[in-house]
Amino acid sequence: MRPGRARAGAILGAMASNPTSERIYQHRLDNGLWLLFEPMPWLPTLSTTLMLPFGASTDPDALEGSATVLHDWLQRGAGALDSRAHSDALEGLGVRRGGGAGREMASLAASFLAAELPDVLPLIASMAAEPRLEEAEFAPARELAQQELQSLADNPTQRLFNELMGRFLEGGPGRSPFGSEAGLAALTTASVRQDAARRLGPDGAILALAGGADWETVKAGAEQAFGDWTGETVSLPDPVRSAPGRSHVQADSAQTQIGLAFPAPAPSDPDVYAYDLALHVLSGSMGARLFTEVREKRGLVYSVGASYRALHGFGYTLGYAGTTPERADETLRVVLAELAKLSQGVEADELERARTGTLSSVVMQGESSAARASRLASDALLQGRARTLEEIRNEVEKVDLKRINDYLAEHPFPDPTVVTLGPKALAEEEAAA
Amino acid sequence: MSAFDAGAAPAAERLRFDRTVLDNGLTVVGEFNPYAATVAAGYFVRTGARDETPEVAGVSHFLEHMMFKGTDRRSAADINRSFDELGAQYNAFTSEERTVYYGALLPERLPTLLDLLSDMMRPALRDEDFEVEKNVILEEIAMYEDRPHFRVFELAGERFWNGHPLGNSVLGGQASIRSLRREQMLAYFGRRYAPSNLTLAIAGAYDWDAVTEQVRALTSGWEPYDVTREFPTPEPARGQAATEDPKLERVHAALFAPGLAAADERRYAAAILANVLGDDSGSRLFWSLVDRGLADSASLGHEASDGAGAYVGYVSAAPERATEVIDTFRRVVVEAQDDALDPAEWRRAQRKLATGLTLRAETPLGRLVSLGVGYQTLGRYQSVQEVVEAVMSSSVEQGRALLAERPFDRLYVHTLGPGSERS
Repeated sequence: MRPGRARAGAILGAMASNPTSERIYQHRLDNGLWLLFEPMPWLPTLSTTLMLPFGASTDPDALEGSATVLHDWLQRGAGALDSRAHSDALEGLGVRRGGGAGREMASLAASFLAAELPDVLPLIASMAAEPRLEEAEFAPARELAQQELQSLADNPTQRLFNELMGRFLEGGPGRSPFGSEAGLAALTTASVRQDAARRLGPDGAILALAGGADWETVKAGAEQAFGDWTGETVSLPDPVRSAPGRSHVQADSAQTQIGLAFPAPAPSDPDVYAYDLALHVLSGSMGARLFTEVREKRGLVYSVGASYRALHGFGYTLGYAGTTPERADETLRVVLAELAKLSQGVEADELERARTGTLSSVVMQGESSAARASRLASDALLQGRARTLEEIRNEVEKVDLKRINDYLAEHPFPDPTVVTLGPKALAEEEAAA
Repeated sequence: MSAFDAGAAPAAERLRFDRTVLDNGLTVVGEFNPYAATVAAGYFVRTGARDETPEVAGVSHFLEHMMFKGTDRRSAADINRSFDELGAQYNAFTSEERTVYYGALLPERLPTLLDLLSDMMRPALRDEDFEVEKNVILEEIAMYEDRPHFRVFELAGERFWNGHPLGNSVLGGQASIRSLRREQMLAYFGRRYAPSNLTLAIAGAYDWDAVTEQVRALTSGWEPYDVTREFPTPEPARGQAATEDPKLERVHAALFAPGLAAADERRYAAAILANVLGDDSGSRLFWSLVDRGLADSASLGHEASDGAGAYVGYVSAAPERATEVIDTFRRVVVEAQDDALDPAEWRRAQRKLATGLTLRAETPLGRLVSLGVGYQTLGRYQSVQEVVEAVMSSSVEQGRALLAERPFDRLYVHTLGPGSERS
């Protein structure tokens, strides 16, 4: 039996009767681990995201990159299994893995057949609760992080965003998850073990699951696998914006990379839905303003866009355009003009297209177990609670033209932090220099 | 025992395959899923870089961009606005083998999407749009110049395929794009976009009778004609070559070896073998290079194309270690030919692949590409369950038989790096 899913005839009839899950189960374990689950009973698969409360923003001073190395080290043997045996056990169950260390949190993600849940959960839990952190595995973990840092140089876009975030935010939250050369070199087995003792705990961690299982099985499995996990955690520093400004990073690249960052509503701010729709009008599709003005009308770029991002308690927007150096000035000018113009409001038909696109992508998100597990975890972290797709849909429906245009009028485009990376500075930086 | 062995693949009994060939030669295929909340549809055109002559290199991909620029009934802005009004997730892509235009949306809007996509298949190709879009293509070429991870495959593929059209560049070059004229694109379009060379695929929730009736009406004016594709015998190159670029920090290497064609029944075994040797995690290359911190990325896959195939690998290393790293890569794949594959590693690779296939099938958009490409390549339908079963029933002996042909003795390696490591 596969409950909770309308038949096709009904689907074809009405958009409103979208057949996604409308229930999220939650439970906080005694050790503080926050468990969330969304049943998708029609799927044979299950996806999990375990968010661990350590990231670049809480790296120890002068040890930038500690979170990244710790995240790698966790996956090199846990509990009774050494690195190889642990990996073979997961892969023998057909588990597809993902995850990484980010600015605020590190994640371990996995997707597998739902029937394997009882065997998979203990293997995931052991990485968090009883990692071996063996001496011999430390050097290769750090070596890998150093290689990835070096590889940044051959990836101008990624490098641009690292530079941009470092200039946009003060202190820890602006730090790159890739770490620094000096920070990685200074790490020792003792320092990273000490770091694990400081911030690899369950209180503040989030375990989100979505897919073809039932709540009782998930809850019992999680209690059993994660119940004995203990450890300390640290609180996350609040992101604070640095003074806005423009800067250029010299790089011998074919294109000039242009990045912008500016504050936006916090993820739990009720205005976030109106803002998200406004951003959709600006950059949600190939029919949106940025794409139309910068690429379609002027042919200045292949890639241009702006998207909403969030850290805990702090929202911001990142903008991007990549263009050949001789067209960089014009490209930045057109992008900034479109951003500034947004405070004059959006048209009714633009809002409706943005709403249609947003609602459609909500439905699509509801079809993918990995997308749902990841969203449950990030909502829990950023909003302090999980949202059903139904709730998101209702909030998006409620935003009317007056509300969005009032919001935009009251919140004119803030002075952005702009970083360019390429063979030559833009005219304005040159004039300032 | 894994759930895959117990036959717990996605429940195929819910799915239904539909197919119609219209009088003009257009094939329409569908996979109906009663549990889908959305539907995805796309035109799969059997044309790509391999079907180009050198003077129009990159025209398939440039044409893909131009297909969004308007028809007799619609301007470029109309097309973008229509997709937005539909709330569609949409895009297009071009490869050596095919060009695909697709969208995914809520089922009640499918008729409008079909109208839009079908109209786009008969584009206006206006002169003024051609010149503006040429700049966008040149920007895209510049963007990939800054991505050595991409560039090294273009360099390696061209030399490995050694004159075979599968080595053609999808983007083309600055020169071929700058000199391309609209008339050349029109001529290419006129040769390649015959109804019989297109497959319209639909996955998810739909009404088949309504779909076929509508598509028949929409495409009734499409004139049938014959399209051919060249299948010269591949004579792949072997050996090693280097391209120097002093701007780079790392050495990027692409490694090619002869593989199997898409219609070859042994392609599942080849995919499992490549996974054993070079999956992102838990593979032989992973343990030899990435786990030890010698390379930040080392992988191998199998690409089965129309009439020919290749094992394709990638590794990135610090310049001072590049020789050691590439030699290790080579040793791992060559030595695999001499040691018996371990049934346990084979089993792990099978299960990882089966999970990946099952996950992709969660969404209609994920299913669409497999459906369209699979049908166009094999001329028949394959359900996810059938593919999962084919993967799970491929034996380790089949993998050993592939290795006995010693494909990795014929490796071609191309490095792209700052230049001090090899010349």
